[in-house]
Amino acid sequence: MGGSSTIPSHTRISTTTSDLEHAAYAPLPGHSSPASPRRPLKGFAGIIASVIFLLALVALILDQSEEPLDKPGKDEAPTLTSNATSFSNISGPEPRGVAQGVSAKSNPSFSGHELSYNWTNAMFSWQRTAFHFQPEKNWMNDPDGPLYHKGWYHLFYQYNPDSAVWGNITWGHAVSTDLIHWLYLPIAMVPDSWFDWNGVWTGSATILPDGQIVVLYTGDTDNYVQVQNLAYPANLSDPLLLDWVKYSGNPVLVPPTGIAPKDFRDPTTAWLGPDGKWRLTIGSKVNTTGISLVYTTTNFTDYELLDTVLHAVPGTGMWECVDFYPVSINGTKGLDTSAGGPGVKHVLKASLDNTKLDYYALGTYFAENDTWVPDDPEQDVGIGLRYDYGRYYASKTFYDPVKERRILWGWINETDTENDDLAKGWASVQTIPRTVLYDNNTGTNILQWPVEELESLRLNSTDFDGVVVKPGSVVELDIASATQLDILVEFEIESLGLEETNEVNGLCGSGATDRSSFGPFGLLVIADETLSELTPIYFRLANSSDGSLETYFCADERRSSKASDVFKQVYGSSVPVLDGETLSMRILVDHSIVESFAQGGRRVITSRLYPTEAIYGAARLFLFNNATGVNVKATLKIWQLNYAFIHPFPLDQMH
Amino acid sequence: MKLLLLIFLVQAVLLTIYLPASQGTVQPMDARLIEQTCKQTPLYNLCVSILKSDSRSSKADVTGLALIMVDVLKAKATGTRNYITRLLRGNLKRDVRHGLSSCADVYNAVLEADVPVAIEALQKGNPKFAEQAANDAAIEASSCERSFSGHSPLTKSNKSMQDVSSVAAAIVRLLL
Repeated sequence: MGGSSTIPSHTRISTTTSDLEHAAYAPLPGHSSPASPRRPLKGFAGIIASVIFLLALVALILDQSEEPLDKPGKDEAPTLTSNATSFSNISGPEPRGVAQGVSAKSNPSFSGHELSYNWTNAMFSWQRTAFHFQPEKNWMNDPDGPLYHKGWYHLFYQYNPDSAVWGNITWGHAVSTDLIHWLYLPIAMVPDSWFDWNGVWTGSATILPDGQIVVLYTGDTDNYVQVQNLAYPANLSDPLLLDWVKYSGNPVLVPPTGIAPKDFRDPTTAWLGPDGKWRLTIGSKVNTTGISLVYTTTNFTDYELLDTVLHAVPGTGMWECVDFYPVSINGTKGLDTSAGGPGVKHVLKASLDNTKLDYYALGTYFAENDTWVPDDPEQDVGIGLRYDYGRYYASKTFYDPVKERRILWGWINETDTENDDLAKGWASVQTIPRTVLYDNNTGTNILQWPVEELESLRLNSTDFDGVVVKPGSVVELDIASATQLDILVEFEIESLGLEETNEVNGLCGSGATDRSSFGPFGLLVIADETLSELTPIYFRLANSSDGSLETYFCADERRSSKASDVFKQVYGSSVPVLDGETLSMRILVDHSIVESFAQGGRRVITSRLYPTEAIYGAARLFLFNNATGVNVKATLKIWQLNYAFIHPFPLDQMH
Repeated sequence: MKLLLLIFLVQAVLLTIYLPASQGTVQPMDARLIEQTCKQTPLYNLCVSILKSDSRSSKADVTGLALIMVDVLKAKATGTRNYITRLLRGNLKRDVRHGLSSCADVYNAVLEADVPVAIEALQKGNPKFAEQAANDAAIEASSCERSFSGHSPLTKSNKSMQDVSSVAAAIVRLLL
């Protein structure tokens, strides 16, 4: 940009002038000085030329003024959909569709006539979750370095100790004996060194065979360069791992050639290769191709970058929070990160920066050359399956050696405004940790399921057997309270023999009001008695073009709240249903977060809700059937769930 | 001869003074980046006029252009908030006062949250948070506009905030 310095006119002027000069002074060989009448002519020519050049220079200077910017008729950029200029219509940036990646806070649902919502403290307080992990206040994002050590599960997390928005990032810390009842500990790492001055960002832990714990995390340096740093517990015999030491030789990794200083973050847990060396992978991008760099090491302080990447997928952009781990094909238990060999597949996962969505793919890892190949290239990382089809990002797994489980954490951001977050003083929750298993029935996906320890929160349960819901109707489920629930439901549908209404728009349509022959039907969670606020979680069956029956699993937030400034999206995906399987869901309701699992965890949707009416005792639970051609019969078991009472660890009582 | 030498010297001096200036028109790479960037925002003219009137834009990359736009967003939000404060000193009907109070909250949020987050995210190379912040600023402005049941005294300001936010968000998107 603007680097060239050739000014042809300048060169021409000086050459010409000096030529003139030269011509005037150099005596012509063999000639005496020219006849006197010629001398005045030459001088005169010189003056004329100089005046011309002077005028040209003046013209050049005058031309320097700013060109008028008006290009009549070119107001709108041709590549974008037109932006409404009238304020009374839909205002704000036109949100792009889900396929292109809806950006985090673009809101498609302005009616232009709703008054902006006046939140009360009661409404805000209600939004705090009862049994999901969240700090007492302020902002949280990515889960970091999850691990198990001496009887405690540890969770670290990106945390802003000063505000309810992202910034000033430190590693928050909490521990639990059961992944549900968490105790807050002091902050584990703050940005106190030049190599993480601008942020102690995301990282992972590796447990070495001798029990040592090695943490690698991204630091944003004082010059805004992303580097990887090594940290380890100050005292390995401390079960609480309160204090951490940063390696004095940090950073251990800096952006390699060809990788931009701002495209190098989120190192994974390391795994052992057949040569006895450790490997880890770090996501990045080259142009628009998302890649996963591989480093080998023997001591975690010196690394070698491999020439080849673990994998790359064009068009997916920057890969954040890459995760790479083995799963057992028989699908019964989790595996240590270094496991391999026959009977094992590997999951590669990336969080796509440009769409804020987490994608994973199953494939085969070739340890000999550290490459990975997806089972189905059309379902590759970034273009195929997602862990969660709702609001969900920056997920990370770890291996639990006690119960031999692979456990998945995921960050759930708020979908209300920053103003709301500042007012209520907090933002973000983590999902309930989920076990991850290979689905050996479909062979194409993993299964996620809330850890069994959640069941310790179950209080009384209520059973509903064979409740029939006719087309276009709603049935209230009589339970004591509807804001903290664990719901298991199975559906049977019975055709009414009516003519099929064929909808070709697949997925979840534009929500639960989009009726078709075989759906939607499901549950209305966090709904008030008059159904002025409700959130349908539902199935919708449809005949696909090849005649087979496709099942879609969806969550419709569009009427979750009367407040107009919260993000209200319809989420969903198709879900495989095998012959002989009943349609089933598990739904965890916890105030402003709902986690919904279909077919044993084949597809999951996490939603955030901010109701204004359907709060506290006013919240209800309903069954609904908005299909036109089927009766729905539902069988449910619903538990009330207790609070987890997450609170600070009583450190002062330890002495 | 002396005359020619004099003219040459004068020209040399003038050229040295105007050499840097003339580079701009001959090699408008900076202007091309601005135009290319602005083409990918919903409001091309607004984008170009804002960027070209900021002297930093000639040396800026896309991140730099985004930061300039966020600065303008900050300036507008500051201006609006100050205007709200002045209006609130007057004698107002209850619903107008109520609306203005909501708007004060909302513009405070833009200045305390959206702007700092956007700047930090852009500087540190985590642009997704900047996109979120810019989009949020637009939503906050709509929220303010909707807090008046009758006529809004802030329509122009809110619209302006919306516009600049949408341009800022679109520029940040180019970094993702």
